[in-house]
Amino acid sequence: MITTAALTKRYKKVPVVRDVSLRCEPGTITGFLGGNGAGKSTTLKMIVGLVRPDRGTATIDGRPFVELPNPTRVVGMLLDASAMHPGRSGRATLTIAARLAGVPTGRVEHLLDLVGLADAAEQRVGTYSLGMRQRLGIAQALIGDPQALILDEPANGLDPEGIAWMRTLLRGFADRGGTVLLSSHLLHEVQATADHLVVIAGGAVVAAGRLEDLLASSTILVRSPDPVALAAAFQVAGIDYVAGPGDAFTVDVSGGRVTTEVLAGVARDHQVLLTELRQSETNGLEQLFFSLTAAKAASPQEAAA
Amino acid sequence: MITSPFARTLGLDAVPSAPGPIPFSRLVRVEWAKATDTRAARWLLALAALLTAGMMLVPVLAPTTFDQTHTGYLRVAALGLTILLPVVAILLLTAEWSQGSIMTTFTQEPRRIRVLNAKLAVSVVLGGGGALFGGVVAAAGLGLAAASGRTLEANLTVGAVTGYLLYVLLNVLAGVALGALLQSSATAIAASFALPAALAVLGMASTLVADWIDMSGPWNRVLENDWAGHVPQISFSIVFWVVAPLAAGVVRTIRRDVT
Repeated sequence: MITTAALTKRYKKVPVVRDVSLRCEPGTITGFLGGNGAGKSTTLKMIVGLVRPDRGTATIDGRPFVELPNPTRVVGMLLDASAMHPGRSGRATLTIAARLAGVPTGRVEHLLDLVGLADAAEQRVGTYSLGMRQRLGIAQALIGDPQALILDEPANGLDPEGIAWMRTLLRGFADRGGTVLLSSHLLHEVQATADHLVVIAGGAVVAAGRLEDLLASSTILVRSPDPVALAAAFQVAGIDYVAGPGDAFTVDVSGGRVTTEVLAGVARDHQVLLTELRQSETNGLEQLFFSLTAAKAASPQEAAA
Repeated sequence: MITSPFARTLGLDAVPSAPGPIPFSRLVRVEWAKATDTRAARWLLALAALLTAGMMLVPVLAPTTFDQTHTGYLRVAALGLTILLPVVAILLLTAEWSQGSIMTTFTQEPRRIRVLNAKLAVSVVLGGGGALFGGVVAAAGLGLAAASGRTLEANLTVGAVTGYLLYVLLNVLAGVALGALLQSSATAIAASFALPAALAVLGMASTLVADWIDMSGPWNRVLENDWAGHVPQISFSIVFWVVAPLAAGVVRTIRRDVT
């Protein structure tokens, strides 16, 4: 479990992160989505005690990170895959992490196998590609057998096969009860990996929730050859609707109270024939993302007060 | 007490659960490994050793310009050691900042003071080991000189050896302090060469600087075991070069945002 409450950070009076509150439950993958400079990395660094928040708190398993006696046994982190000593081999890098965590160094070999670096284990990290460093970083994050993972842009530099591999790995980790918080500026990446989503723009959370809820269209389109009868049925059932497009009706989901199933039931009860009943064209995460971030970018200072 | 209700998530092999704090000895061992396991670090240590051995040839080959005494040779070893050992100490503190791996280190042990203490312990061990090596080199130099038929005054005292050890350690600790304070390899190394040079020049103009601040003055008295009447100056210079910058460095390290 990873939680933050009202995390806030300014650099030289410029707000970078504003009142960010997150809650990542065990068994889920939370995608932390935002453009460059949206405040993702700063938020993650505040969670793990690298950056001191001006205000707000963050906890992992109920305690502040800096109070964890041996943090890498609780939460694995990949914050910057390029921040490794280039002169050390992949195996030596993992061995140091294993020794500090106090886990058997035999785990190093398991993890080298798991991330596909067994053949490159003796090479110096300086010779690794970015993708290989990401894999090594993921191995390092897993070395202490943690219950939670915090990954900053883990897909960076990975080839499509590597990305698929990582998704499977993270899904398996979450399915076994692990908590995953990963950041990304790539919409489709988060869409394919996460089940919860937090969108950040201008340092503030602009949307948060289950991926499918955020993706779900907020309106349903209903069409009947007999619109008058359908309108009457909606009125009796107390369902708000607007006419259009065309001779169809658009019904607001009213926060999930109204579903296609509910509407089908209303039509059946009133014996109205439906020829079309579906979610309105969904915006897709992309449009959601752009609409949310663009709206925020248009008034960047308004939340600063 | 935290117990996670969730099964270990990557059951690759049995890992002891409910981990306690990281023992300090483990932090020191890991810092030692980090300080010595890379090619760059080994080259630097080899170079420091080579330099000390090379310096030792001077009193052997130029007997008229150097005291042909046991303490004289030991002092040459000290001068050779303290050219590069402070740089080794600086890098011990700064390399991780320059490479960015400090991010990993401070997430592995977020109590940054413990990491600093471990690095301090490693540098003291390195300094002590260096001093021991210097002693061996001095002995070898004396052996060479004796083999050439020279008579060498055996004037080694406990005080002289203590002064030698202290001198080497002080130079190492000054490197640690500068590294802890500046947190940048290039800046700290440049400062470690520029500051003493600048103060030496200032010292020519002002005896106040020469006696109290320019480390070469008071610390040479430590090396020469010449404490009488100089304790205040020596103490002040230790505070100025070691205690104060180290304390400021500790505060700065603990407070600094790692971005």
